[in-house]
This record gives sequence, C-alpha cells and structure tokens, in this order.
Amino acid sequence: MLTPLLPTRLLLPLLLLSLAMLAPEMTQGEEAVDPAKLEFFERRIRPLLAGKCFNCHSAANKAAGGLRVDDRNGLLEGGKRGAAVVPGEPSTSLILKAVRHEAGAPRMPPEGGLETEEIADLERWITEGAVWPAVELSEGQGGWNADYEALRREHWAFRPVSPAATPTVSDVAWPRDDVDRFVLAALESQGIAPVADADRAALLRRLTADLTGLLPTPEQADAFVGDGAPGALESVVDALLASPAFGERWGRHWLDIARFGESTGSARNLPYPHAWRYRDWVIDAVNADLSYDRFLVEQIAGDLLPAADPAARERQLIATGFLAIGVKDVNQRFKVRFVMDNVDEQIDTMSRGILGLTVSCARCHDHKFDPVPATDYYALAGILTSTEQCAGVRNKMGGAGLDYYDASMLVVLAPVDEGTAAKIAIAKAEVEAAKAAFEQIRGKPEGLAKGENGRPIQQGYRQRWNRAQQEFERLSDPARTGKVAMGLRDAEKIGDTEIRVRGEAEQLGPVVPRGFPSAVEVPGAEPIDPAASGRLQLARWLAHSHNPLTARVYVNRVWQRLFGTGLVDTVDNFGVTGNAPSHPELLDRLAADFVADGWSTKRLVRRLVLSRTYGLSASSQERALAIDPANRLLWRHSPRRLDAEEIRDTMLAIAGRLDRSRPAEGPSRQLEVRELRNNGREIASILSFAKASAHRSVYLPLLRTVVPGALEAFDFADQGQVTGQRESTTVPAQALYLLNDPFVAKQSLVVAETLLDRPTGDDRERIASAFRLVLGRLPTSPEIDDVLAFLAAFEAQAPATPAPVAEAPVETVVTAPSAPDPNLDPDQVEQDSEKVVEELARPRDARSAAFAAFVQAMLASAEFRYLP
Amino acid sequence: MSRPSPNELVPHAAPSRRDVLRSAAAGFGMVALAGLLGLQARGTSAAAGPVTTLAPRPPHALARAKRIIFLFMEGAMSAVDTFEYKPALQAWNGRPSPGGGKLVGSKFSFRQHGQTGSWVSELYPHVARHVDDLCFIRGLHTDTPAHPQAVIQLHTGARNASLTRPSLGSWLLYGLGSENEDLPGYVAINPAPNFGGAINYGNAFLPASFQGTRITDTGELPNLRAALPRDLQRSQLDLVQRFNRSFQASPVAPREIDGVIASAELAFRMQDTVPDLLDVSREPQSVLDAYGVKPGKEGSFARQCLMARRMSEAGVRFVEIRQPGWDHHNNLHKGLIENAAATDQPTAALLADLKQRGLLDDTLVLFGSEFGRLPTAQGEDGRDHNITGYPMWMAGGGVKRGFSYGGTDELGIHAVEGRMHTTDLHATLLALMGLDHERLTYNYAGRDFRLTDVAGNVIRELFA
Repeated sequence: MLTPLLPTRLLLPLLLLSLAMLAPEMTQGEEAVDPAKLEFFERRIRPLLAGKCFNCHSAANKAAGGLRVDDRNGLLEGGKRGAAVVPGEPSTSLILKAVRHEAGAPRMPPEGGLETEEIADLERWITEGAVWPAVELSEGQGGWNADYEALRREHWAFRPVSPAATPTVSDVAWPRDDVDRFVLAALESQGIAPVADADRAALLRRLTADLTGLLPTPEQADAFVGDGAPGALESVVDALLASPAFGERWGRHWLDIARFGESTGSARNLPYPHAWRYRDWVIDAVNADLSYDRFLVEQIAGDLLPAADPAARERQLIATGFLAIGVKDVNQRFKVRFVMDNVDEQIDTMSRGILGLTVSCARCHDHKFDPVPATDYYALAGILTSTEQCAGVRNKMGGAGLDYYDASMLVVLAPVDEGTAAKIAIAKAEVEAAKAAFEQIRGKPEGLAKGENGRPIQQGYRQRWNRAQQEFERLSDPARTGKVAMGLRDAEKIGDTEIRVRGEAEQLGPVVPRGFPSAVEVPGAEPIDPAASGRLQLARWLAHSHNPLTARVYVNRVWQRLFGTGLVDTVDNFGVTGNAPSHPELLDRLAADFVADGWSTKRLVRRLVLSRTYGLSASSQERALAIDPANRLLWRHSPRRLDAEEIRDTMLAIAGRLDRSRPAEGPSRQLEVRELRNNGREIASILSFAKASAHRSVYLPLLRTVVPGALEAFDFADQGQVTGQRESTTVPAQALYLLNDPFVAKQSLVVAETLLDRPTGDDRERIASAFRLVLGRLPTSPEIDDVLAFLAAFEAQAPATPAPVAEAPVETVVTAPSAPDPNLDPDQVEQDSEKVVEELARPRDARSAAFAAFVQAMLASAEFRYLP
Repeated sequence: MSRPSPNELVPHAAPSRRDVLRSAAAGFGMVALAGLLGLQARGTSAAAGPVTTLAPRPPHALARAKRIIFLFMEGAMSAVDTFEYKPALQAWNGRPSPGGGKLVGSKFSFRQHGQTGSWVSELYPHVARHVDDLCFIRGLHTDTPAHPQAVIQLHTGARNASLTRPSLGSWLLYGLGSENEDLPGYVAINPAPNFGGAINYGNAFLPASFQGTRITDTGELPNLRAALPRDLQRSQLDLVQRFNRSFQASPVAPREIDGVIASAELAFRMQDTVPDLLDVSREPQSVLDAYGVKPGKEGSFARQCLMARRMSEAGVRFVEIRQPGWDHHNNLHKGLIENAAATDQPTAALLADLKQRGLLDDTLVLFGSEFGRLPTAQGEDGRDHNITGYPMWMAGGGVKRGFSYGGTDELGIHAVEGRMHTTDLHATLLALMGLDHERLTYNYAGRDFRLTDVAGNVIRELFA
C-alpha cells in the first residue's frame, strides 16, 4: 500500500471526500441486487477505483483514453480500446489485463501496480456481475399528476382550437375582414374608436418594409400614391409577396426561431461551413410558400420522407439542418453528456419554437408550472438519441487543429464522382503499402540506422505513411470531394432512453417509451414507429391539424411581425407562465382559417396586411392612449424601429449599391473546422468581408459570437436560442455607429455625390431628392433652408481637401501566429494583432463632404429608423 | 401551482423586460462597446411608467462594496507555488500522491509576511507587502477541469457551457445600474478571445444595455473616434437633433424619440470622456512607475491595472482585466516566473493606489483563476488541472483584512475546510454588492433565472 507513506491526517478526509463525491451511479436492470455484493463494492472496489484510477479516469478530472471508471456505464462502454469491464467475464475484462500488466494491455496504474489482494477483489467483483448501487429517482421526477391533468384541461392553450362566431359591431362600415370585426368589437367594448387610415405613402412604406425588409423607392411611392384604381393595394401586396425579398425577410424571421448560426459557439467556437445550405433552403421554402405543416415536417424528418425526385430529396435532407445547427460544446469530455446536451438543445428549439412550450425545464425535474413531467422530456429525448445530429463535429477534450472535425457526421448529398473514387482507391492502396513498408523496417537495425539527415531511416518511412494517410483522409472527406449538408439521420441504434436522474447524463433511471408531450393532445396522431427513431411521427404530430399549439403559435408569430406585438405577447411561451391572448377568439379564428387554407404563410400575410386594422395610421389619440396605452386593442398601428438588417440593407439600397442577388460564395464556407478565436485571422477576414459586402444582410456570415457590427448594434437575434421577438433598445453604440462607422459614411457619400453629379437642378432640388430617398417624404421649406445653411457653414469650415471621413478603424488585436508550432498547446498561444480592414469614404471636395454629412445626418435621425 | 413572480428586483419597481427596453435610453449594447451607462428615460408614455435602465438602483441590502475589479489569471495559476504554503508537500516531495501521480514540492521559497504572518512565495514580493489587507478564500472548488467550461462557469455561473447565460457583470448592472452616466458600466479589458469569448462578458437574455464593453489593453474600442473634426460633427449632430425634434412633433412619432435624442448626446460626449479615461499616459510618472507601465505586450497587465483603477474611480461598476498564460502543463518554472513578474508589481500598485485614494473601502478586488493545479508532476516540468481545491483572494470592499477562510488538505489537492463552490463565490460577491442572489432574478421564457441558478451560499464569515 502506498497510503501509509502519507501524513495520517490526510488519509481519512481524502477517503471520505472520494466517497462523498460519488453519487450512486446506476442500476443493473430490474432484478434486486444482493446487499452483500453492494457492501463489497462500497468497501473494497469503490475506494480502490477512487484511490488508484480517478486521477485520470473520472468526471472530476479527465477521461484519459476516453475511459471513465467513476460510472458503471463508463466501465462497460470503455474507452478507445473497448469495454473495460464485461460483467461476469473477468477473462475478457480489459481492466484486469491492465492491472495485471498483461501483454497487449496498457499497464495500469502507471505508477506502480496494485496489490495482489486488490486485483483479486477486482476480479471477484467482475465475476459477481460488477454490481453498482442503483439510483433512486428524485422526488421532482414523479411523472404525471392531478395538477397536471387539471392544467391540461383548463389552460387555454392546451384546449382544442375553437373558432367563435364573428362578433357583431356597431360601425358596420369600418371592417374589411373578419379580423377587423374581432378587433373593432373589442375596441367598441372599451368605447374606443380606431384612428384614421394611414396615408398611402405611409402604408406603402410599412408594407414594403414588413414584407421585404426594404423601403419603397421614390418611383414606387409615386406610382402607388398616384394609382387610385380599385385593386391597387392588392396588386402591390401581391407583387411584394412574389418578390424574392419576401423570402429573404420572412426566412430571416424563421432563422431567428431556428437560432441560426454558422459555428458551434460555446466553449470552443468551430465553424459550420455548410450551414448556409439550410439558410438558403429556408428562404427558398418561404418564397415557394411551402405550407407550414410541410415546412415543419421536412425540417424535422425530411430525410425520412419519400422524395419526388433527386432534387426534392436533396432539399429535404438540407431541411433537417434545423436541428443540427445549434450551439454545441465540442470540448465536452464525455460523449454521453455531449449527446444529452445536444438533445436538450434540440428539444428546447423545437418545443419553444414550434409549440411555445418550455419542455427543456423537465430535463432535471418535472416542470414546475406547465404540465410537462420529466418522463415526457425523456420520451422526446429517446427520439433524438435514436437520431444522429450531423454537424460535422465530435466532442473531445482539449483538442486542437482538426481534432473536433468529423467528416462522417455530415449528410452526404451527392456521392463522389468516379474519378475521385478511383483516386481514393489509389490513395488507400498507398496507405496500405506505406504502412507495410514501415512495419517491415520498424525497430530493425536498418530502420534504426541513421540516414543522411542524421535521423533514423525508419522515420522517413513513417512520414511516408503519414503523408499517405493525410492524402487519403483529404480525398475521402465528402466535404472536400462531394456535396454535403448539416442535418439528421436515424442512428444505427434505435430505442427508448432512460430518464436521467436530476438531468445528469450518466444517472440512469427507468426507460421511458418514446412519445410526445402529454399536455398536448392530438387526436389521430400516429404512434411512434418502434423500428425507426420516431422523428417522422414526431414531425407529423407537431404539424398535425389537431395540434392545439402549432397553428396558434405560428399565426401569433406572423401577427407579431406585422403588428409589433403578438395577440399573445409572450410569443415563445404559450404555457401557464405566458400571458393570455388579448383577442382569444381572433387567435383561434386565425389558427383555424390558416389550417383550413392549407397552412399558407403568404395567404395569411396577405389577409392580415389587407385588413383595415393593419392599414391604420400610427397617429396617437389622447383618449385611446389613456384607456389602452400599450395599444393592445389595436386602435392605431404601433410604430416600430427598423431591425438591424433593414437598417443596413436600406442604407445600401439608398446608395444604389444593394446587391439583390444571392451570393454564390462566402468566407464561412471556406473555413476548415478548427477553433476560431473571436479576433483571430479567420474572423478578421470574415468581418472584413462583411464590411465590404453589398449583399442583403441575411446572407452575411453569421458565426456565433462574431456578429458583424452593423447587425449587432441594432439588437440582432440571440444566436444561442429561439428568438421569437428581438429587442429594440436605444443605446449610445447606435449613435456612435451611425455617426462614425465608415460603412455609414460610405453610403452617405455615394448618395451625396450621385446627387451632386446630376447635371440639372439646384441645391434645393438636391435636398428634396435626398429627403425623398432617405425619409420617403419631401422636406418643408424651412427644412430646406435649414439644410442649406448647414451645408454652407459646413463647407466653409471643412478643409479644402477633406480627410477620409473616418480614421482607420481598429477592430482589435490578437490572433494566432502565421505558422503555429504544432507541438504548442493552442490554449497557451497568445496572439498578435489582426486588423479588420474596411474601405474609407473619401469625399472629393468640401462640397461633397458637406452633402455627405447632411445625408448621414438623415440616416442617423430617428425618422429614418422608425416606421410609423 | 403558483405563477412565478415577475422580474423581482426588490425593492424597486419591477418594470417588465420589454418595458425596460422600449423606453431604454441607455446602455451600450454593441459588439465591442456595450454595457454603456444609462440615463433616465424621460417622457415615457403611461404604458411603460417611469422606467429606468442603468440609472443607479438601490441594492437589496447593505452594500459593502460599490464596484468590483476582477484580476483574472486565465489558465489556472498554480497555488502551491504562489499563495498556498504546503510544508507537507515539500516533505513528501517525490512520493506518490494518494490520487495518483508523483508529488512535487514547489521550487520557490515561501516566507511569512505582515502582521498576519501569511505565507507568500518569492514569486509575489510586491503583493506580499499587502497580505494584511488580503482576504484569502482557500477552499474553492468547481465542476469541470477544462478551461473553456470552467472559464464560462466562473463568468456566467453556467455549469453546462452549451447554455448561454448572462455574465456576472451583466447581473450586477441589471441589479444596481451604474454610477456614471458617461461611461460604460461594465468593462472587460483584454478578454479571452476563446473559452467562450464574448459569452464571458455577454448579457445573454438580459437587455443589451447590460452587456460588457470589450476594450483592448491599449484602450481601443470601435467607432469611438469621431469621423469628423469635432466642431463639424457637432453641427452635424445638431442637424440630426433638429430632424429628431421635428419628427417628435408629428402625431405618429414613437415614444422612444426622447431616448434617441439623449443617447446621441451621450454618445457624442463619450467620444471625449472614454478615451480620456483610458489614456493612462495622463497619470503622473510616479504612478506609471509604480504600476510598471510600459508599451507593448510586456506592459499589458500594468496598463490594464491602471485603466481599471481609473474606471473604478470614475464609477464603473465592474471591471475585469486579464493575464493569460497560466496553463502550465509544461514550462511551469519559467512560466510562473514570467507571469508572476508581469502581475506582481501592477497588482500591488493597484492595491496601494486604491487604498491611498480611499477607494479600497468600497472597491472589491478579486484575484484568481478558473481553477487550480495539482501538487503532482505532469511531465518534466508541469502540473495538471485541479478543480477540487484552489484559492483566490479578495481585498477591500467590505471583506475582512488579513483573513483566511477555508483550506485544502496538507498537499493542496482537495478543499477540506470552508469549501466554496463557484456558485458560493457568486452568491458572496453579489451579497458584498448588496444583492441577494435569490432575489436577483430575471424572468425569461417563462422562468425566473438567477446567476446562481438553484444553489449558492453566501459566506458571511468573509464580511468585515
């Protein structure tokens, strides 16, 4: 024994601690375990493992060789070399070979061996079945109960959608659609009359922004304002709905729900070079008006659906990127935790995004407010543990370089061509040959002899093998030689999973059959297919016309995008802690009509924007404001701020620089799957690209934690979780961005110089044009005078040859050296600076600088970014 | 089954999250320049009520400290070579450790300092002169022996790194607001570019106004440099404000315009106030010499210490500075000498400076790493991670002076007395700032969140 060498005071506390740190681990099936065996384990085996093995093989330290011995499953599954313990079979249990120092097994523990008696104990324990104490379910995981049952029956959102009759209203002339009748009835009950309709210019601006994320050009405004023909509004709406920009804006809305991001985020940030395919799929699906039920089914189980043709098959595979693109902690040491954390992330995204329910609370305990027991959570988890999330990454502790990359965890869309297949075969043969040659010479005198470079000759053989291996891996990586996407596929091992006690991945409770949340009753839903993951049935259950939540949650999201606030203002939470709808009957009517109308987003949007309610002016009115200050009753249209994408895209559009095409390439697609530092070389180049890009913002590279500054200043979506509604904060960083960022200066200057280059017209006309272009209205005469005075004063003060409108921006420091030493721990590398480059605006003269300053002042004004 | 309370920020009024944001007139929520300080939103409509964002708010209870400076030793400093004197380890040098591996004593000599006779190694001679002001917490432990997760947990409390949670500084701003209208309320100087990166000073689901502002160790932050000569920009901003006021007069104007006008003025002022504050060259030479300020990488930590003092003095609620490079799996000996040399004098100068200015009474200084290192050998010259027992120290801000709480076993492996989990540290830090970690909640997605989640004990023994 080694311990007697230690100070005696130390021994007992250490031992007690080791025991205390270990919660009981797992059961061995349902049969009762002999108490004597358990006592033997606690007295002889657990202290032995804790004392001699935990330093390198436990959750508190690390899992050297992938092996953990503080958990029965860890021993049974083993590490890289396979199972460490086979219950009842000491002769095949690797752990015994290791402690006996048998040939072919690692010698363990590395410092000295075990006592003979200890080895005998270990053998006896394995022979007797390797018993480990069972875990007990915590009190908080008791399952379905009477309170839950009452909530399921009583909470409005769990009850079936039941459209009420259209209410009668006093002012029968006002409503245009039943939507308006529901709204007006509520207003009349409070004695409020709606304000006047918006003027046509304001309505067009609102419509164009809401539907496409852009603003109308002066020509479009003129055409609409001047077109008094019946049906003019409908024509404009139909044109906007048909524009590709509709999908770019409304697709982005879904990407907020889908917490879209092009990297893992979390502890080590690795790129997802194929995430863009999912982004494009979403935009295309919205533009094609893919019915929402089908839209959901393809995202959750597109791989399991029959496909009409190869192109449809490819689209369906890409759609499953939805659940694969989430945040992942690849540095998680233990695969079981990596898997269960990813399962949790998917459950959270699906349940909040589609159902408006926070199911993930039930990972650790029965939900405290909503009727979601832990058993429901693990019923869903079983579907996802039976599914492989193909994100191209794997978990590993402390990896570097390409360690986290796993090409086998990608969805292959197109197999490699014949030429490449032949090259792969040749490369494989070379690997075999090089390996054989190395094995041949290794350790022999001729191998150990020094070559010309003074090193053993066998080293050259080893290098040849390495090179061949690298070439083989390069060629057989489908991401390099084929066409791949992120997505899902059913796992090889299909089955139900265990409830995890207190949510801890290793703490296995009883197995729970796969299924759906009990709170949500869906009459007619298909049961889980026992032979498959069950994702297809889950998808159909979610998208079922009788699911009381799915359609309600979605029409509420659409409503919120158009009116600013949802009928249920807690858009991601329809549970007990969410708020009740302001117009419950209207919500149900919309949900029912939406389903009956084939789940068409475009027709729903069309209906809502053509309503009288949508077309109300944003004018305030004292009496209504006093009664309903938050405008929940919709007596006017609530003004809103443009979102981050709209602000950037509109600035580019005003300058005539917006590239409306979809980019064929992007820097995030070129990245290797290596850890990114948020100011390293790759990120600097991505941010530089984003600054130079003239494409719509939805196409900018969106790696997690490295959001382009133009978006982040204006409350871009949280890429870590479902964002049903973005914030709209007012912070000084916005003013600093608008006053000082070279991007804003650049667009201002382009506008200014375009106006100045007009061959005809005077400055009053130029100012008027600028107002129309930026603010969508003509200036008043005093406004023109004011601007003229500003221009004159500015021009007089400005230097004759103005400096660039911004000093070189410094987007800071620190990145890896150009050729990192492969032996260096990457975490220890401090970094040198890497700058984000950006083109500066250079006015040609003082007059141009003055006009640019005026245009920029309009871009920085509240009027530009608030939409009445 | 009761509904959870709304955002409970007792004792002040509890505006809903969205109300706060709608009329927010403050904060600095941008990639590199965030967490800016607030001003009162005026003229908000009846819907939102009188709403404040980063205006100072009274704490729940007595605030022993008003601000925190965290000196983050990223990578895990070896305690048994610096602030943990373990004679048993020296005696058992070379012998097997009970948890495996071979014990290796420190190669640095320790001696006692000050009235309290605290042991400090020769690596920290300057800090050693302040031991009578330090409050050691020696029984810390955490959950994950990997830097990325442990760094994230230390900064956000999240045990699961794949859950993005608000950082400690964001919680402080949310709970207390800030004290200076023209400055960021929460600053991270030279923060880690990896290990979660911006998550570590992020606001997660808290309003963007509570986000940390990232500043480089040379005091840079984007868009702060005026794009035009100042008088020209002033006339440009005047034009902007005339546009804003005429828009405000229209019947369709949203109620946020007041906030827009005020925050543009704040932004304009910040172009002067923030660079001035970050410009350490304004300090007298004697102060620069005391901290050891010099240009380039070598002077990084000294500059950060001095910037931290200047910002704390100006009312910044939470400043974090960082010295990386403590991950000594190898190169332990030389690495410790270099890193201690970089941090010893500036840290001591910061303590002396704060004390001399009377700031140490209500400024809490926290010094330490995401976890510790084992007393055993790793390779020729290294030590591996240890999450089961490691120290940090505090000074000032309402903690006992010359005090030591808790401890590890004789070898420095396990915390055996006064054990403090990361969560307990968080609960205690909030308590020192006058916040009750169980009452500082934020309702998001149907649930009340806390920095300490469902755990956390306040260690009152540390309080002066």
